[in-house]
Amino acid sequence: MRVKTRAPLAVALAVITGLVAACGGDEGAATESSAQAKACGPDGEYVIGMSQANNAEPYRERMNDDIRTAAEAVPQFQVEFADAAQDNAKQVSDVENFLTQQIDLLIISPNEAAPLTAVVKKAYDQKIPVIVLDRKVEGDAYTTFIGADNLEIGKQAGQYVAEELLPDGGSVVEIKGLPGSTPAQERSDGFKEGIAGNPAVKISATGVGDWLRDKGQQQAEAILQAEDDVDVVYSHNDPMAEGAYLAADAAGRLDGLEIIGIDALPIPAGGIKAVEEGRLSATFTYPTGGKEAVEAAKKLLIDCAELPKEQILETQRITEENAADVYSELNRR
Amino acid sequence: MIEQQAQESPAAAGRPSPGALPHGRREWIDFVFRFQSLFGLLAVFIAAIAFSPVRNGELLFLTTENLANVVRSVSEIGIIAVGMTFVILVAGIDLSVGAVVGLAASGVAVLMMERDMGVAPAVAIVLAIGLAFGAVQGLISTRLGIQSFIVTLAGLQVARGLARIWSDGQGVPLAYGDGPDLAPEAFSVLNERLLGGLLPVPALIFLTVGAIAIFVLRRTTFARHVYAIGGNERAARLSGVPVARVKVAVFAIAGMLAALAGIIHAGQLNQGSPNDGAGYELDAIAAVVIGGTSLMGGRGTVAGTLAGALLLGILNNVLALNNVDANVQLLIKGLVIVAAAALLSLRGRDD
Amino acid sequence: MAERPPLLRMRGIAKSFGGVHALRGVDFELRHGEVHALLGENGAGKSTLINVLSGVLTDHDGAIEIEGEEASFHRPADAQAAGVATIHQELDLVPEMPVAENLFLGREPRTRLGLLDRRRMLRDARELLARTGVELDPARRLRSLRVGEQQLVEIAKALSLDARIIVMDEPTSALADAEVEQLFRVIRDLRTQNIGVIYVSHRLEEVAAIADRATVLRDGQLAGTVELAASSRAELIRMMVGQPLDELFPKAAAKPDGELLEVDRLSVLPRRPKPGRSEPREVSLRVRRGEIVGLAGLMGSGRTELLETLYGAGAPGRRSGSVRLDGRELELGSPRAALAAGIGFVPEDRKELGLVLGQSVTTNVTIAALHRFARAGLVNRSRERGAVVQAIADLHIKAPGRLAAVRTLSGGNQQKVVFAKQLLTRPRLLLLDEPTRGVDVGAKAEIYRLLASLAEEGMGILLASSELPELLGVCDRIVVMRAGAVALELDAAEATQAALLEAATASAREAEAPA
Repeated sequence: MRVKTRAPLAVALAVITGLVAACGGDEGAATESSAQAKACGPDGEYVIGMSQANNAEPYRERMNDDIRTAAEAVPQFQVEFADAAQDNAKQVSDVENFLTQQIDLLIISPNEAAPLTAVVKKAYDQKIPVIVLDRKVEGDAYTTFIGADNLEIGKQAGQYVAEELLPDGGSVVEIKGLPGSTPAQERSDGFKEGIAGNPAVKISATGVGDWLRDKGQQQAEAILQAEDDVDVVYSHNDPMAEGAYLAADAAGRLDGLEIIGIDALPIPAGGIKAVEEGRLSATFTYPTGGKEAVEAAKKLLIDCAELPKEQILETQRITEENAADVYSELNRR
Repeated sequence: MIEQQAQESPAAAGRPSPGALPHGRREWIDFVFRFQSLFGLLAVFIAAIAFSPVRNGELLFLTTENLANVVRSVSEIGIIAVGMTFVILVAGIDLSVGAVVGLAASGVAVLMMERDMGVAPAVAIVLAIGLAFGAVQGLISTRLGIQSFIVTLAGLQVARGLARIWSDGQGVPLAYGDGPDLAPEAFSVLNERLLGGLLPVPALIFLTVGAIAIFVLRRTTFARHVYAIGGNERAARLSGVPVARVKVAVFAIAGMLAALAGIIHAGQLNQGSPNDGAGYELDAIAAVVIGGTSLMGGRGTVAGTLAGALLLGILNNVLALNNVDANVQLLIKGLVIVAAAALLSLRGRDD
Repeated sequence: MAERPPLLRMRGIAKSFGGVHALRGVDFELRHGEVHALLGENGAGKSTLINVLSGVLTDHDGAIEIEGEEASFHRPADAQAAGVATIHQELDLVPEMPVAENLFLGREPRTRLGLLDRRRMLRDARELLARTGVELDPARRLRSLRVGEQQLVEIAKALSLDARIIVMDEPTSALADAEVEQLFRVIRDLRTQNIGVIYVSHRLEEVAAIADRATVLRDGQLAGTVELAASSRAELIRMMVGQPLDELFPKAAAKPDGELLEVDRLSVLPRRPKPGRSEPREVSLRVRRGEIVGLAGLMGSGRTELLETLYGAGAPGRRSGSVRLDGRELELGSPRAALAAGIGFVPEDRKELGLVLGQSVTTNVTIAALHRFARAGLVNRSRERGAVVQAIADLHIKAPGRLAAVRTLSGGNQQKVVFAKQLLTRPRLLLLDEPTRGVDVGAKAEIYRLLASLAEEGMGILLASSELPELLGVCDRIVVMRAGAVALELDAAEATQAALLEAATASAREAEAPA
């Protein structure tokens, strides 16, 4: 009886060990292929891995779509997408699996900066070009960063509040994005700078909505219950702003309340329409950078060119004056 | 029932082989069921090889880098699942382990970054917290006679709350160095791979924990007590087994191992956040169930759990390497869990 | 003899499992209005025959005729439709539901709107119970009834399904004498309705009291069918075992010496009184070394509760009085403490309380005495193996191997495993609750021999049993309990069944006052 219990275990281990041993010594192979990654030119075929933080956010879905559309125009490119669903550990595995698949270039929008830094560095050290999109990692172990200047956007939002919405002062509620992601930190810091010019404007409460509409709504609900005096809701992105709108509506607090968001996606459910329809007072365009990322990939892989470390994208404030025009312009692409 | 009757026939008495079952088919089926988790693992392994993409003439799945990735990726869940095995064997369940991961991850980060503690004391304190947390849950469950499902469900909330209080609701990133507000370099070893890239440190810890648990559950009197309680708690009590004590112990073990997983989590991601580990309890339970442990208690092994965890890891890996759509991945994983449970129940004439 | 064909005729029934012949060429006949006993040792084939009749086993040789018509059953529902109802030892009822719902499970009367017609259900239930001669409130939850009453509900259910043949499998194993009488009354009533009853039992005295004929199976074959009026107990045993059995009860050779157990006015006031339990009330008794003391009494008289309390497994609550073992006062806080003090306990329900069915003989035998084979928490497998092999040999446990699952053993051998487990702890005092329940004659004799030899070695034994002949044959002294208190104490030599029964039932109406 005891002999029998050990046999299958031994067999299984033997098989597994044998297979692993047979495929040993392939670090060499890895270096070989990564040396090839540096190979570039119009004749090659390239696989690009896109590691997305959370497909469930409309902004990121748009980013993926922008990448997909731009890549379709480049016959040499094949793009594979991975979704981490806001799980840092999963995103690390996603990138590792891309590396196993020997991709030629990595585009990544990291969920949070610190957890993803090491694995991005790993890719970079293997001579695989890395384009970091919209959210940053720590350090500088990447090829290029493409994104709008979140500090600037935050500052512009702060100035809008301080100078135009509440020139005589008032209280602001801030709904923040996922704390470990750089846009959240920067939009918060920038906003504080922006309102510094008007000491009568104060941030009376903050909530963390993690970029998600339902969480934004929950947080806004709770804050509106606790705070009697709220003049402006500054939300780090449009979905959370929409959530705050729903919360305010349910609580009967819409009167006189101004809600600001960021993203301004030119889609029917996006921020520009929301401004047009009067739910948001203002939003700021935050280009996804998808098109630009593919452009950069082309330059790296096909033109064998070098790229600057940073590519900052332009932003624009949307209010009811220009909402309709900007919407049709952005959709004419 | 039928075999029982064959048993009772005086003609069968004294025969050496189990019941009057013939060699051949019946014995083989029994054999497969007993090692279902191992065979399942082998099957998924072979399937992964079969479906592995090929690049430059080599099977991507079988590269040592990839296999090391796979074991690394299941290490945390695997460690939690080992603890969960003990709890499920006494017919309990621990839903708080995921939250304890968050508590431990953020706790160890806070201790090193904000309290300037060295690795050893920080780790020791956090492990002790996990142990104590589990023990308290066990005590509440046994003393007050409340089902472990409910106690640990509450424990889940409490742990999350404690984690958020301890870390001020924020994630605590880890920066390494010698000064104040920096964590000791030694902690970053959790991110390294030994033996020239073959063995990620978390995997080493996972396999070590597994080996120790296998030994404990096969050779100790504690193990006999655990299996007896799971098999028939009333009979166990009447046989002098210290039921309450053993139950508290298994919850303490589960809590401590969850804390260990949390510490590793912080090390691998260079960040400890109070929301870490959300949902990990379900993955751990899945690994335990796939590994052949019955949720009713009294039957199952740690080896099976290890196989179950690895099976899930390989499954995730082969689906990812083939860039299968994320939603389809969820579906497939769900089906695998159902299949494993069905096999278990087919075999479960015992219960 | 009537011209009409018999109610049931089974001809040449044969069934094998794998290579084992469970039944070979067995004939069985049941007349209308007859109570026909089915006897045989464990493994003789009684269960197999019953399962063939009730449609559980379908692949068999031989023929079944009901009222002269050939019947072939492909599943239990077919047998039920043909009028065969089986009442097993483990009842087929839902404990949480009221009696009425149990009776009509699956065919509940409904109102015109399709909802449950409770009133009609209760009414029909009352009628049905009355027809069966049972007085019960059909609104009561099944769980609140005594086992005996639950059985009667099962019979009523069978009748409601128009059963013509009722098979009863060990119906009295969980009943006390008064309840047995009630059951017999119901059975006699069934007779007058021309229903045939097949009565499977080990208790030969009962069989003699209630049955008309008896069929004995041995080793899967028919040993004989006799008219009970014309037969004797000895002949039945001879047919069952194949040879005349020596006196069932060995001569007592032990000489009781010295006080082992002294119980002084032990009372338990339970924290959460449960209905149906009689906690000890001012119980005083003595057991000497080498003495076997019996506990007699009706079901519910408090014997089990007393034994549980002495083992540290009683109901939580306030205890007064004292319990001393070898002069030392005991706390009795837990079974673990009792075992450490040298007390062992073989519980009444071996499957629920005595064994972990899915585990092996070895694991079950050693679980209470692991410290004897372990060092530093690690179990020494070879020392354990040695002890188990010894235990199997000493108690003549028939098992496929020491690693076989205990579930596969017969009742008698399972009971021996429970004994072995307790004996391995080397107790000084052994408490037993119905130790030969559901155990065949051969194994019973072995257990009695075992008890005698244990007493000879100086062990004190306290044994609760509902079988008065067993108490009279094995014990030195007998204590009769009633409603948790001691009613009478006498030497076995002076006791008679009548005296014991009277003491047990005297002012039973008093005893039944709500606790």
